[in-house]
Amino acid sequence: MKKLTALLSVIAMLLLAACGGNQGASTSTGSGDGDEKVIEMWHIETGEREALFEEVAKQFEEENDGVKVKLLQAPNDAYKQKLAVSMSGGNPPDIFQSWGGGWLKHFVDQGNVEDITANVDQDHYLEMALNNGTFDDKVYGVPMGLSLDVIFYNKEIFEKYNLEEPKTYEEFTNVIKTLNENDVTPLALTNKTKWPGAYYLMNFASRIGGPDLFESAFNREGRGFDDPAYVQAGEYIQELVEMDAFNKGFNGIPYDEGRGRQLMYSGQAAMMDMTISFLNNVREEAPDFEEKLGFFVFPTIPGGEGNQTQVGGATGPVWSVASESEHPELAAEFIKALTTKETSQKFTDRTGTLTAVKGVVPKDDFVKEFYEVAQNASHIQMPYDQTLPPELAELHKDTTQALFGLSMTPEEAAKKMEAKAEELLE
Amino acid sequence: METAEVTRRSNTARVMAGTKKRNVRKAVTIGLFTAPALIVYLVYVVYPILSTLSYSFYSWDGTSDKTFIGFDNYIQLFNDTIFWTSLTNNVWVVLTSVFVQIPLGMIMALMLFAPIRGIRLFSSVYFLPFLMSTVAIGLLWVYMFDPINGIINQLVNVLGFENVAWLSDDNTAMIAILLVVVWQFSPFYMILFKAAMVGIAEELYESAQIDGANSWQKFFHITLPLLMPTIVSSSILAIVGSLKAFDIFYIMTGGGPNHATELMGTYMFKQAFINFNMGYASAIAFIMFLIALVVTVLIQVVDYNRKKKGAF
Repeated sequence: MKKLTALLSVIAMLLLAACGGNQGASTSTGSGDGDEKVIEMWHIETGEREALFEEVAKQFEEENDGVKVKLLQAPNDAYKQKLAVSMSGGNPPDIFQSWGGGWLKHFVDQGNVEDITANVDQDHYLEMALNNGTFDDKVYGVPMGLSLDVIFYNKEIFEKYNLEEPKTYEEFTNVIKTLNENDVTPLALTNKTKWPGAYYLMNFASRIGGPDLFESAFNREGRGFDDPAYVQAGEYIQELVEMDAFNKGFNGIPYDEGRGRQLMYSGQAAMMDMTISFLNNVREEAPDFEEKLGFFVFPTIPGGEGNQTQVGGATGPVWSVASESEHPELAAEFIKALTTKETSQKFTDRTGTLTAVKGVVPKDDFVKEFYEVAQNASHIQMPYDQTLPPELAELHKDTTQALFGLSMTPEEAAKKMEAKAEELLE
Repeated sequence: METAEVTRRSNTARVMAGTKKRNVRKAVTIGLFTAPALIVYLVYVVYPILSTLSYSFYSWDGTSDKTFIGFDNYIQLFNDTIFWTSLTNNVWVVLTSVFVQIPLGMIMALMLFAPIRGIRLFSSVYFLPFLMSTVAIGLLWVYMFDPINGIINQLVNVLGFENVAWLSDDNTAMIAILLVVVWQFSPFYMILFKAAMVGIAEELYESAQIDGANSWQKFFHITLPLLMPTIVSSSILAIVGSLKAFDIFYIMTGGGPNHATELMGTYMFKQAFINFNMGYASAIAFIMFLIALVVTVLIQVVDYNRKKKGAF
């Protein structure tokens, strides 16, 4: 018995030693290839976008001897969490994707993001887009794509009921009434995810209070989130809800799974306020639908300060270098490679979205229309939830969802926002 | 005489020293044998609980420096209406688990013992929901609850009612998810009860039969009392599980709309990973732990007293 135990322990120790040995070996091979510099990049894109990144990475590896680019994709929500954990664990990737604004600033404030002002040519990018990754005049993130928020509609349905693209709120509500009379859902909305509904609040607020309203409230320069314009925006939203302008149960339907888009494709709904990435979805999911697809810019509000040259938009992906990176110079080089004019042209042509790089005209006719809107825009409003600090952003989306659900009054929502803003922004 | 006394004394001393030595050696042996489990337990259970407690006294966003703020997180927590909503929702989950899931599980187990043809098929059918992953169940039911084209609303339409926006309405969302929770977990208790029922001696029923007991009497005087230990352990599982509930709610509503289905777990997640309030989230986590601990201890005490009275 004793012998057996001894034997067993010897075997166990050998096994342990073997494991340890293995580990040692693997680390030594890792450092053995020490000349090879590895750049790790995390992103959330799929399909054509991901394919484009891979092409750029391959080219970059060919041009720079001994450099390897590792791309890692994760879905949106998981990505955000993964990145936050890796940042706090002190083990972030060299390059990471964001949308600029408050979320990126959060990491900048913690000293986790490299200042790349010296590495990039600021004139290369659209100023409005670059601002989203620039804090205190230092560039921390470089924008690649630019997206707009417009109202898409089904041309066939509009023709059938003799409807025209509405320019004012009154025309808009008339369209909604006509559609309702004919048993067509006027607006498809998927608000479980909360950001699709937030576009209405942002658009209404900008049309009522003018495009400077948000900047003023955010920078604490006179106006606040309890501005009458925000209360009114909430009232307009609730008016639309009471008018049955949206499909039933919108607060429980997520966007990504595509049931909202399905309502558009099947003709059950006639309009949808969405970012221009919807075009890419149409091309992938229901190519036949594209010929019926039209869009217009959010209508004006009577007596409001805003007009139709002010549109909602967003930057993304925005690329940043982590300050923990071992090869920050190389990482910045790779970011530049991702946003060259040439790559940007491919980006816009292959993914149906706009780019944040100057002088890139899309070849595609539909995308060209978006391009015109962006070119003529006097102001592009970045989404609040990307600009505000995370906690306030979440409250903004929560209160807006509650407004849509008629479970909170506009005054209450505005007051809550202002109280939190006072706490976090001042 | 004296020498004899001395030797005897030294003998006792030696014997005592011997036992002491043996005791120490025993303790070492026991310690060594339990060490692997104990180390894992300390590192992965005790240490995290204690570090959660320590984080909860700080204002910390997860990356930058921590600032000690004493009990501020807890004060804020007890004034936070959303936290109280989530706690109430957790209580609802606990109540449905204990008073719907467990009885339902027992009824299903009883049915499996009933002399009905083809009942064995049902034992597999009943058990199926428990075998599916929670994420899959969540997504499946989200589609079934779809406010426009979902199968449940089609059924509601056939019955002549208007569509119900199950998961989108503050009033129905909780009920809808609880339904899914019951559907998913009842089979688990069914299996527990089935196992316990197999263990009840047949003779008891036979003698009851001879004494002229009917089925109800047999159930209330034999089956139910003998199932008591299983009911107690099921209740502990149900209560602790419900307090920690997270996944199905996160998938089906994410705690929405307007926090109508917010649980302590989902609220903690939001505070930690969306709002980056690690300290505050740790405070929520520790309160969750405390509640679960207190409830478990309470049940154990009640059960201990019950056993002391001579019940099974």
